[in-house]
Amino acid sequence: MLELRRVSRHFGGVKAVDALDLAVAEGQIFGLIGPNGSGKSTTVNVIAGLFPASGGEILFKGRALAGLPTHQRLQLGIARTFQNIRLFGQLTVWQNLWVAQNAPEDHARRGFFAGWLGGRGSARAELAGLLEFSGLAHKRDELAANLAFGEQRRLELARALAAKPKLLLLDEPAAGMNSEEIGQLRGRILALRAQGVTVLLIEHVMELVMGVTDRIAVLNFGQKIAEGTPAEIQADPVVKKAYLGGD
Amino acid sequence: MEFYYGLAQTIGVHTLLGLSAYIVLLTGQVTMAQAAFFAIGAYTAGMLTVLAGWHLVPAIGAGALTGAATACAVGFPALRVKGLMLVVATLAFGEGVRLFFFNFDYQVARGEIRVGPLGGEGFRQIRFFQENGWTTGEVMLFIWVFVLLAMAILWWFDRSRYGAVLRAVGEDELAAQSVGINLTAVKVSAMTVGGAVAGVGGALYAHYTTHIEHANFGVLLATFAIAYPIVGGLRNVFGTLAAVVFVQALLVEGLRDLGDWRNLLFGALIVLAMNLRPQGLFGGRRA
Amino acid sequence: MLDFLQAASDGVLFGTTYALIGIGFTLVFGVMHKLNLAYAAASIGAAYSGLIILQAWTAAPAWAVFLAAFIAGGLIGWMVYLTCFHFIPLSHPLAPLMATVGMLLLIDEIIVHMTDGMPQNYPAVYDDVMLRIGEFMVRGDLLLVGAVSVLCMIGLLALLYRTRLGLATRAVSQQAVAAQLCGIRVGQVNAMTFVITGLVGGLAGALIGASVGALSPLLTAPLTVKGLIVTVIGGLGSIPGAIVAGLLVGGFENVFQLYRGVTERDLYVMLLLFAFLVFRPGGIFAPRGGRD
Repeated sequence: MLELRRVSRHFGGVKAVDALDLAVAEGQIFGLIGPNGSGKSTTVNVIAGLFPASGGEILFKGRALAGLPTHQRLQLGIARTFQNIRLFGQLTVWQNLWVAQNAPEDHARRGFFAGWLGGRGSARAELAGLLEFSGLAHKRDELAANLAFGEQRRLELARALAAKPKLLLLDEPAAGMNSEEIGQLRGRILALRAQGVTVLLIEHVMELVMGVTDRIAVLNFGQKIAEGTPAEIQADPVVKKAYLGGD
Repeated sequence: MEFYYGLAQTIGVHTLLGLSAYIVLLTGQVTMAQAAFFAIGAYTAGMLTVLAGWHLVPAIGAGALTGAATACAVGFPALRVKGLMLVVATLAFGEGVRLFFFNFDYQVARGEIRVGPLGGEGFRQIRFFQENGWTTGEVMLFIWVFVLLAMAILWWFDRSRYGAVLRAVGEDELAAQSVGINLTAVKVSAMTVGGAVAGVGGALYAHYTTHIEHANFGVLLATFAIAYPIVGGLRNVFGTLAAVVFVQALLVEGLRDLGDWRNLLFGALIVLAMNLRPQGLFGGRRA
Repeated sequence: MLDFLQAASDGVLFGTTYALIGIGFTLVFGVMHKLNLAYAAASIGAAYSGLIILQAWTAAPAWAVFLAAFIAGGLIGWMVYLTCFHFIPLSHPLAPLMATVGMLLLIDEIIVHMTDGMPQNYPAVYDDVMLRIGEFMVRGDLLLVGAVSVLCMIGLLALLYRTRLGLATRAVSQQAVAAQLCGIRVGQVNAMTFVITGLVGGLAGALIGASVGALSPLLTAPLTVKGLIVTVIGGLGSIPGAIVAGLLVGGFENVFQLYRGVTERDLYVMLLLFAFLVFRPGGIFAPRGGRD
């Protein structure tokens, strides 16, 4: 579904991502891990279209993404969450989801007039389901800025889902969570896979990564140093060295 | 009574000016160009009623259209610059439009006199209301029909998905893009709507003052335009209306006792207001 | 050709004052990420304040007036900081901008009131001196304006790159939170930035008065617009950019005036701005895109 062919991203002299090859199959939950500064977030940003790639190409369902602006990539089916949550704090929970309903089938269904100028009615049913899934139904009309941290995280995820993505890029969704919350997150990600969403998970928290992914790639200094199943990665000495700096 | 009608006319027209800035400010773009669209609406409508003999209502429509078209044209290049650079670009555009009208002559003979814009001297004899026997009270009501219409439309936008999208763009462009919002479309559309509202305001202004000139549409008016929604708060359209009433009533009161000092008062008032209530009169939690 | 060179050189020398105003805007923007729209008005206001010296000491030499303007500029700068930036919390970005607009109007009106709107003569230095190189002439007063401006720029750059205050200022402009965590008092740095740009602005105002020969409240709006144009063309936050852009705008403006007259001149300066906005929106010295 997603293919990176020798993708690079340079910032001046720094090679944040260096000739990265990655292939994520449809329906997979693919993990991307690596020490700090290894280029994980940059990779997500390049896939999402925030920066152009300095080299290589990115293919989504066989289609090259070069030159497409971020909002068009969303319409193709690529959604992302942010590591430092970027909610619309001055909008309510409901509004955060409402403005994110930008999947092409939704636009077509609503038509121009209702799509832009319609009131809440047109979206009520759809978003109600999403609110239930995220456990935020009771906070519908609360300003996003007033939510508790855990609730904000769930809203961040829900908002990405509002656009009915085919591929979801999750940027460190488990940071700061306790075991119980991680368990809930794991459940949600698996439920997403059951609904047909492919997931690329960038994460530090091994408890989540090892417990939910089908396949993992490891980055260090912008390059891929290992790829395999969670079990293979856990046993790989190269990976251990990268994380722990030698035996 | 005449005096109060006149005040109500001014408040109405300034509310339209403020509303034109309100919708653009929602998207996070600070625009100093609204006075320019106001001017374009004023000259367009004035020329149509005076030189081409149009009835006022279609002339106002034309003013709205030219205001909207210019705003749309300005909107696209304006997108290439962000934030504070936009302030500069729109400020420069506003000054450019003012200079254009300073140099603009188009006169036609009407009987023994020549009518039409005459560069620095401005455009006199915009006498549609007088020639058609409108009383001051009727003019005031006419203006307020448009004001209430504009307020209703913007209130409707605010409660619709469009309003939420505008505010999302205003709050965090990066996040907005990432959820699939087309920033260009949203920002240019807001500019265009603002241009249309300003154009209507300008058209009405030209006809109730009967004489317009380039100096009316300078930096001071551009400042008033954004001061109203900022001082009033961006929570809803009533904030802008309240700010206009607040400023104009105070200025007019100030005018009576302090004569010339009203601009001084205006400046000090803004500084005070921003320190005491930075979120604006009606700002704070969204309705 | 000679006329062109003449106009260009006069313009460039006068443009050094635009460069100073541009530096003022750009430095405040670089450090606080906010625009101080009152800056040009404050600079002209400081120049007017310099004239107060003449009230007390009628035979005061020109440099005393300039010095008074310089000092007044610093004071006014500090006042603008207090009234527009110090008390307003960071969470409301539009409020300080609006407050500076309020100050701009206030300063303008104070000037009008204190002078009844009449232009005031400004002392000039060396205005009767002309340097000749064949047919080419350089006005003595413009040369002095240029020289003083350049000295001011050097002084400012020395302050920014050779002193602890300058270091602190540069730190705050890059990462205000981190600077605070290192013990730098950001509030103080911000206030000092306003004082320093105020000093520079006061001097620029005085120099403008000296080259034009008179001061008028009508100068503030065009100077604000031009100062902002210089800042944008030079690149927001870039001091070398403001310097180059100031000279550029000064030179172009005079050349436009030569060929198209005063009324159309400002329109062409606008077009210059739009050309930059279309082709090089980052300005001459556009800052490099970073990771964020």
